[in-house]
Amino acid sequence: MASSCSQALRHHVCKSSRILQEIVIPKKKTWSKEAVLQALASTVNRDPTASDYRFQDDPYLTPKTSSEFKLFSLSQESGRNAAKYFISTYPKYFQKDYAQPHIPCLMPETLEAQIEEVSEAALIERIQMRKVKAAVDLYDQLQQAGTPVSLDVTNQLLDLICFYGDCDPAQENVPEQRNEETEDVQDEPQTKKGRASKASDKLKAAWKENNNAERIFALLSEPNTHSYSALIRGMVKYGAYSKAFSTYTDLLNNQLKADVSTFNALITAAPEVKEKYNEKWELIVDLLKQMAEQKVKPNLLTLNAVLKALRRCGTVGKSQAFPVISEMRALSIDPSLASYNHLLSIFYKPGAPFQGQTDILQEVMNEVSGKSFTPQDPDDAQFFITAVRICLDTKDIEQAYRVHELLGVGENWRLLGNDFQQNIYHARFFSLLCMMENIDVVLKWYRDLVPSVYYPSSNVMRDLLQVLDTDNRLDLIPQIWKDLKQLGHGNRQTLVEELLTLMAREKQNQEVQETFAECALDIKKMYDTGDRGKVMMSWTAGSLSDLVSVLLAAQRRQDAWEILKLFKTHNRVPSEELLDKFLTCIKESGDVNQALELVQISAGFCLPGTPKLIQRVQQEFLLSEQQKSMLSDLEIQTFNSD
Amino acid sequence: MYRRLLINIYQVRNGLIHTQNTRLPSTKCKERESFAPVIWAPCTARPLGTSSISFSENKENSTSLSEDKEKRPEENEAKEEVNTDGQKSTEISNATLTLQLETEPVDKPEDSKQVEKTKSGKESLLELLGAMKVEVTTVRKIRPSKTPRMSERPDQEPMESTHSMFQHATAKGSQQQGTLNPALVAAVSAAASTLPNRHQAESELLKQLRKHEAVPDTQRRADGQNIGHIIADMKVGGRKTNGRSSARPTSQIRFDDDGKGYTQDRGITGELDAVRRRKSPFTSKRLNIFTAGMEQDTLSVLGPTLWDIDLANQIVQATNQAPRNGFEEMIQWTKEGKLWQYPINNEAGLEEEASVPFHEHVFLEKHLDESFPRQGPVRHFMELVITGLAKNHHLTVQQKKEHIDWFRDYFRQKDDVLKEAEA
Repeated sequence: MASSCSQALRHHVCKSSRILQEIVIPKKKTWSKEAVLQALASTVNRDPTASDYRFQDDPYLTPKTSSEFKLFSLSQESGRNAAKYFISTYPKYFQKDYAQPHIPCLMPETLEAQIEEVSEAALIERIQMRKVKAAVDLYDQLQQAGTPVSLDVTNQLLDLICFYGDCDPAQENVPEQRNEETEDVQDEPQTKKGRASKASDKLKAAWKENNNAERIFALLSEPNTHSYSALIRGMVKYGAYSKAFSTYTDLLNNQLKADVSTFNALITAAPEVKEKYNEKWELIVDLLKQMAEQKVKPNLLTLNAVLKALRRCGTVGKSQAFPVISEMRALSIDPSLASYNHLLSIFYKPGAPFQGQTDILQEVMNEVSGKSFTPQDPDDAQFFITAVRICLDTKDIEQAYRVHELLGVGENWRLLGNDFQQNIYHARFFSLLCMMENIDVVLKWYRDLVPSVYYPSSNVMRDLLQVLDTDNRLDLIPQIWKDLKQLGHGNRQTLVEELLTLMAREKQNQEVQETFAECALDIKKMYDTGDRGKVMMSWTAGSLSDLVSVLLAAQRRQDAWEILKLFKTHNRVPSEELLDKFLTCIKESGDVNQALELVQISAGFCLPGTPKLIQRVQQEFLLSEQQKSMLSDLEIQTFNSD
Repeated sequence: MYRRLLINIYQVRNGLIHTQNTRLPSTKCKERESFAPVIWAPCTARPLGTSSISFSENKENSTSLSEDKEKRPEENEAKEEVNTDGQKSTEISNATLTLQLETEPVDKPEDSKQVEKTKSGKESLLELLGAMKVEVTTVRKIRPSKTPRMSERPDQEPMESTHSMFQHATAKGSQQQGTLNPALVAAVSAAASTLPNRHQAESELLKQLRKHEAVPDTQRRADGQNIGHIIADMKVGGRKTNGRSSARPTSQIRFDDDGKGYTQDRGITGELDAVRRRKSPFTSKRLNIFTAGMEQDTLSVLGPTLWDIDLANQIVQATNQAPRNGFEEMIQWTKEGKLWQYPINNEAGLEEEASVPFHEHVFLEKHLDESFPRQGPVRHFMELVITGLAKNHHLTVQQKKEHIDWFRDYFRQKDDVLKEAEA
């Protein structure tokens, strides 16, 4: 009994021990501070009817046009900057700390150096405050006093000098302001200007011969890798490419090894120092081989630097781009969007003909679609613009949809870049839609994008009108006109004239004609008032006659008559067909007096068709004696004038 | 050859379904579907008679069929263009198949007109065949013998199995061509010429034909399903030599296993995709400069340098950091330290107490030891105090200690009073 009992017990123990073995205690999950908020944020979808979140505080400040958008977003940013400026300039007025617990970022930054004495600590402080001149002066003083400065601090100083090219940094600006000059050119294919301004920023300061960096570097008894790295990167940043390479040779002569960032800088500089495509590429390969020799592991920035350099290597770039990517893949370096951007730029040169390269985009899209990317390279933000440009150039709507889909994955929307780039992207995407899709699809996208994220330019709106025209949905014109007015394109003469022409061209059914007439009168108001400070549109004969025919088609004879009078006031001449049409319309109502007036107007313009009109009036209307004589007088007059 | 035939059947059936979809009202669909097994039969060596009923039923749609007849070869042609390794022969055999299907029901009504019509159809078919590169399939071998036979005896009872029809057909054929029809021989050699080793194929084809004549009528009735075997045999012959035969093994397998007998998802785009995937440039060869498991020499890392900070700054500037909704703005504020952190567990706000274990809070007796009396009312009071403190979650350990210390001081000051009261 006892044995069976113990057996049972043992059995039980065995069982429980087996169960115990199976228990896996889960690891403690640590959540980030923002985890809850991120979860909540992921539940909010974009509302296509609402404006950007930035503008939701005040409905009055909801931007309706691209210029308003620019103005409001910039004013918000500049307001922040102004506040920051005052806090930092007058810190003594902002010392009271209300926050509990203390919030450091709300307190004024100290902009003045606190340590006055000549010491290494003071130097470190000046380096941290990025005061280049003051730091260099202090270093000199320390040298004169014979105080040794440690190599690390000297390297930091070198970093500082090289980074700012031996100049004091300008007042730091917050991202939005940087776009000010580039955003002005929205209706144009902007890329040129955007790039030009960036390039000019870089070229502002050039590397000067024997500047402080070189001087301090020369003073170092035993410069290490870090010192060389700082110097070479500075040289590359400020355009002293060949000098960077000679410094690198110097480094090798001193039996030192370079670091990754040095190589990255040198690879960036490689296309600048060689002329031929082959030589450029050989230099890059040489650098990569030296990296391998010195056991320096490349990183993503190396990959991107190589690809960026290959953009300037013509056909060599096309053949070598994929091996480079495979090489980096083998080192488990996954390309970022910047890599793909460079890749696309290698294969699709803007303005060059595209033959048989469409599948490169497709390949790239196969690689990236569905993936969520994190920003790792400043060039990451160029990818979407480049991809959609290629779609537009090759008229590949399918890939464009894939690009747009990729934008919705994860945090990829951040990589679309700033407002300016977003605008370019959407403009290209929408133009492509207008080109390739039918009106229903285009309108679906139009309602989705405009005006919550995209304020179309007048050119794009003209594209939209063309789509309306080709798909024969002219009845939507009054709606589009409303949007046009809201988008601030109501005073674009060419656009408005095109609108009028489209409305006047064909006869629609009665209901549509009614809305057209309303729309036409609205357009007329636009001509009359002309907003303060905006360009006034001037009537042309074409726009006036289009307006008249739209009104006539809607049986609005009286309105049309008013417009007809405008011909005289604006010194425009109506066409004969228009008057003929008008007469037909008058005949339907049988208003003899107006018919006579019309003839008189025609005679006033000395139109060659006047006799014909007179004839028609004589035949088709019941005239009194007096009217008859008047007509015959007119007939004689015109005859004489001829 | 077998493979071709399979393709043919696949196409014919596709064609059938196509016509169903486009032309026929749904009521006729069922009858149409019953076609499929008939065409299916030759390649699976199933007895051909299984679906003879469908033929009799097809009588009703004979008219629509004859209409279809004009249409179908065109469809097949169109299909063939799509098909990457489509061959001319598919068309021919398609045509023969359809004809075989269509003539029978058409012939059955005793109408000379109808017969003429069939004949004209046959003629046009022959023209078509003539125009093509002549390749003979087994089906075709049967056809010329069978169709005249069918037209000769239009009174045949509808319930007779196709199997027996085939038998009749072949029997008649053998009578008609005591020795092999020279035209047929020519056709066989032409067909064989398309195969790599023409002599083998030709002799095999001819052998098969002769075998038909040699076998007595009765015996042939018994193993009439040999048509399937013939095709199977030929498959072997073709397989050995035809280099392309392995081009679509997958489709063949799918064809066999799949009850429907065709796969619609396997379009040209699918194949092209497969081709592209194989050739993806992202899997191209590498430069072979670096070795994968390379160890990096550890350089002295001094935290982020100015360059690193600048890179991060550039990335931030290049990307869109504007919040899209209130929550994202709150995330931004949290990161900047402007906002109270949203609680993510039960320990929110425990920053200064996070490192203090719970027993420090609860077991406070150790603080009572030295300066308090061991017993008596003071001790009793202090025990109550620490019990209260142990349950108080608003105070930190430090505050609790201070609390106790305050009492310590207090009782020390009142020492005289306490002694007086002899407490």
